[in-house]
Amino acid sequence: MIEFQNLTKTYGGIRAVGGLSLVVQPGEVYALIGPNGAGKTTALRCLATLLAPTSGTAFVGDADVRKQPLVARARIGFLAASMGLYERLTPVELLRYFGQLHRMEGPALDERVDELVRVFGITPFMSQRCGTLSTGQAQRVSVARALIHDPPALILDESTMGLDVLSGEVIYRFIEAERERGKAILFSTHHMSEVDLLADRVGVLSGGCLVAEGTPASLLETTGESNLARAFLALVRGVVPALPTVPGVGDALPEQAF
Amino acid sequence: MNAAWVVFRKELRETLRDRRTLTVMVAVPILLYPVLLIATEQFALLGMRRIESVVSNVAVSGPASEDVIEFLAADEDLDLVDVDDPVEAVRSDLVGAVAVFGPAPAGRSSQRATVLYDAADEGSQRARSVLADALRSWDDSLLARRLVEEGLPPNFVEPLALADSSVARAEELGGYTLGRFLPMLLIIMTLLGTFYPAIDMAAGEKERGTLETLLTAPVPPREIVVGKFLAVALIGVVAAALNLMSMLLTFQTGLFQFGGSLDIDFALPWASVLIIFATLIPLAVLFGSLFLGIALRSRSFKEAQTSLTPVYLLVLVPALLPVFPGITFTVALAAVPVAGLGIFFRELMSGSPALLPSIVAIATTGLWAWAALAFATASFGREDVLFGAGDGRVESGGGLLERLHRLLGPMSSTPNATQATGFIAAVAVLFFYLGFPLQAGWGERGLLVSEWMLLLVPALLFVRVAGFDVRSTFSLRRPRGRQIAGALLLIVGAMPLGWFLAWAQGFVLPVPWDMLEGLEDLITAESPSRLLWLVTLLALTPAICEEAVFRGVFLAGMRGGASPIRVALINGVVFGAFHISFESAFRFLPTAWLGFILAWAVLSTRSIWVGILMHFVNNGSIVVMSSIPALRAWLEAGGEAPPWVLLAPALLSAGVGVRLLAAGPHDQEIEPDHSETESDYKMTESKPDHPSTEPDGEVTVSVDPSR
Repeated sequence: MIEFQNLTKTYGGIRAVGGLSLVVQPGEVYALIGPNGAGKTTALRCLATLLAPTSGTAFVGDADVRKQPLVARARIGFLAASMGLYERLTPVELLRYFGQLHRMEGPALDERVDELVRVFGITPFMSQRCGTLSTGQAQRVSVARALIHDPPALILDESTMGLDVLSGEVIYRFIEAERERGKAILFSTHHMSEVDLLADRVGVLSGGCLVAEGTPASLLETTGESNLARAFLALVRGVVPALPTVPGVGDALPEQAF
Repeated sequence: MNAAWVVFRKELRETLRDRRTLTVMVAVPILLYPVLLIATEQFALLGMRRIESVVSNVAVSGPASEDVIEFLAADEDLDLVDVDDPVEAVRSDLVGAVAVFGPAPAGRSSQRATVLYDAADEGSQRARSVLADALRSWDDSLLARRLVEEGLPPNFVEPLALADSSVARAEELGGYTLGRFLPMLLIIMTLLGTFYPAIDMAAGEKERGTLETLLTAPVPPREIVVGKFLAVALIGVVAAALNLMSMLLTFQTGLFQFGGSLDIDFALPWASVLIIFATLIPLAVLFGSLFLGIALRSRSFKEAQTSLTPVYLLVLVPALLPVFPGITFTVALAAVPVAGLGIFFRELMSGSPALLPSIVAIATTGLWAWAALAFATASFGREDVLFGAGDGRVESGGGLLERLHRLLGPMSSTPNATQATGFIAAVAVLFFYLGFPLQAGWGERGLLVSEWMLLLVPALLFVRVAGFDVRSTFSLRRPRGRQIAGALLLIVGAMPLGWFLAWAQGFVLPVPWDMLEGLEDLITAESPSRLLWLVTLLALTPAICEEAVFRGVFLAGMRGGASPIRVALINGVVFGAFHISFESAFRFLPTAWLGFILAWAVLSTRSIWVGILMHFVNNGSIVVMSSIPALRAWLEAGGEAPPWVLLAPALLSAGVGVRLLAAGPHDQEIEPDHSETESDYKMTESKPDHPSTEPDGEVTVSVDPSR
């Protein structure tokens, strides 16, 4: 459902992502982890068609993000760290707005908005302006906004950053529910506990390159560490050589990444 | 439903919930504005009445007759006081004014009297006025007595009783009065109306993080921009409309008393009001799009406010133009953005505006609006604008040179369009503040210094500091013999054609004869040594210095992507704009033509030497031709029109020149384009370990692909 094909993104002379290739299947949750500046946000933004890849490409289903950006966008729900809510709109107005941008209208839109309002418990504050909502309430609206068009693929860019445990729980439950519904979910995070809890597979980005990929258990096994945080450190510090199963890693990894 | 319409409705809804915008758009015109206007008038009237009700203390000094003293003493508005020192009495506010009489007249000759008062004191001014009126009355009564004594009729001293009477109707006078200030106010209100919404919809959206989610919706950026600018433009028009209505109603309520006392009717014909509303739309689109495009380049609301304030102030200058007396509605002024429409409003309010300038004003405003919209749309399509170059890298530290490097952005071997435009703007500012004073103070030497120091030196410094490739930026490629021949033929043909253009321009723009004669004196040499100096000053110097700036740095920045003709046109327009003087825009077209020709030739040959040669030949031959009396006489024989016999050979020469240049090799590219692929990648190779930081602040190291 989601596929990166040797995607590279440079800014001026600086390469943010280099030759990234990975696949996320329907019903799979894929965690992209890496230190700050590893290229996670850039990679996700390329997938969301917010940035144009310098070379290579990515696909959402059969839609090439370079050639069919509008088709690709219609198939993704994007959730960033900033919740992206319009402060002077109510949750219902916001949901309707994004629904209309996704070409939804009439009874179909009304029903979808009602459903999301009910499912995410938005009813008590549905008439309040988003600027007056608590962080938890805003997060629920934000998630509902990403799902308004019921996309088959979800991109979450550090979407639990700055949230307390209760608010983060909204996101966790949402991810689990959507996986059950067969969605392909790609999320980036700095929290290893989230990876442990949610991810079916993990990709470790460092210096713009995918240096490791596998299930959480396989990463622990390869690094010989007892937990994911230690395994992550070992991988990004180069203690453990790049996994041979990851194509292109050996020749793309910079010598002086850190 | 169309996405632009969806965006428009949402933006409008949000804006109408924004207190800041509502304050500017509704509260100011409806409440504060009339209140302020009426309050100001009432305070002024109150002050005037208070001053008028006060009896002024005045004094008489010198040999005044008993008659005049009695006359003044009988005036109820005056209180005569005895003073010793008239000046001190006025200074110490003992009296408001003193009538100082000169020596007593012999017989019936005139006596001189001076009214001493304090011009910096309102009470004293009032006393002077009342005292002077009283003295004039006494003067009139004395004259009347004398005429009676002589048996002469009262009209003996007034053979011509002069009076004037305006044929303007009250509403025409009202329109004329409104036309003096209302256009400026309308433009400012449109500006203010679009200012905050544009910032909020662009930079505000970025700051709140909503832009990212908006751009993941399956909507082309163009539709988002259209929706946003429609909302901004509508708000701007509504703000201006509310202001106009509020102003007219305020004047018509009768509360505003100045109009009534002067027999002025502040009513505008409905047709005029409708035309003003309609023409405000392109103006609002222009402001809205311009502000959207600029605000989008800012990361926050505050930063956008800072960025837009200079633009706002810059727009105010042409908006003020209709206020000044002597500004006539010419075709040239009508084409000036903002000012043209402002003067059109003024003329419309005063009566019937001239048709051609009106059409030009409306059409050019439409064109400017379209250009601004294209700019905003292009901004929305650029990821470096939306998300910042280098994904918002945060960099700090380093020396001055390094900081300048960072300020100029990611470097390729030649400047990009933004960098080149920024450079030209900086040179323009430098030339304005230093070049004009230098030329005014030092004359020809000032011109020489400003060309070398304010054009060539900045160009060299810019390329050096930014680390651009000197050879590529200045197109330092040696031309071939055929190209030199083509360049010479082209300029020899282009010169008379430029003359024809200037002549044709004279039918639209007034010819500034005084300026041209002054220019002719400057370029005419009377001796060989003077000729050598003029050729150095007016031909060689500009050929080197101006070419380095315009066909060097500026052309290098603009030539990536666009067609050579379009790039040459832009170059010509900017070159022409640099030659507009305070007195007249007459030189614009001929110099723009020259700039276009030079730019095209340099683009075709990739050699600035061709531009230098052509520029030198152009300017040098003008100096030489002016200095040879016989040649000059022949050229001027046709009066204002150029000799038509030149037209055919000029076209032939230019045509052959173009063919020779166009056949030149385009394959010898000496610099890569500005896209972020090849050229930037090469920069990385040469500087493999240039550190940078990504959005979340961590230091990373660029990758050297060769390792």
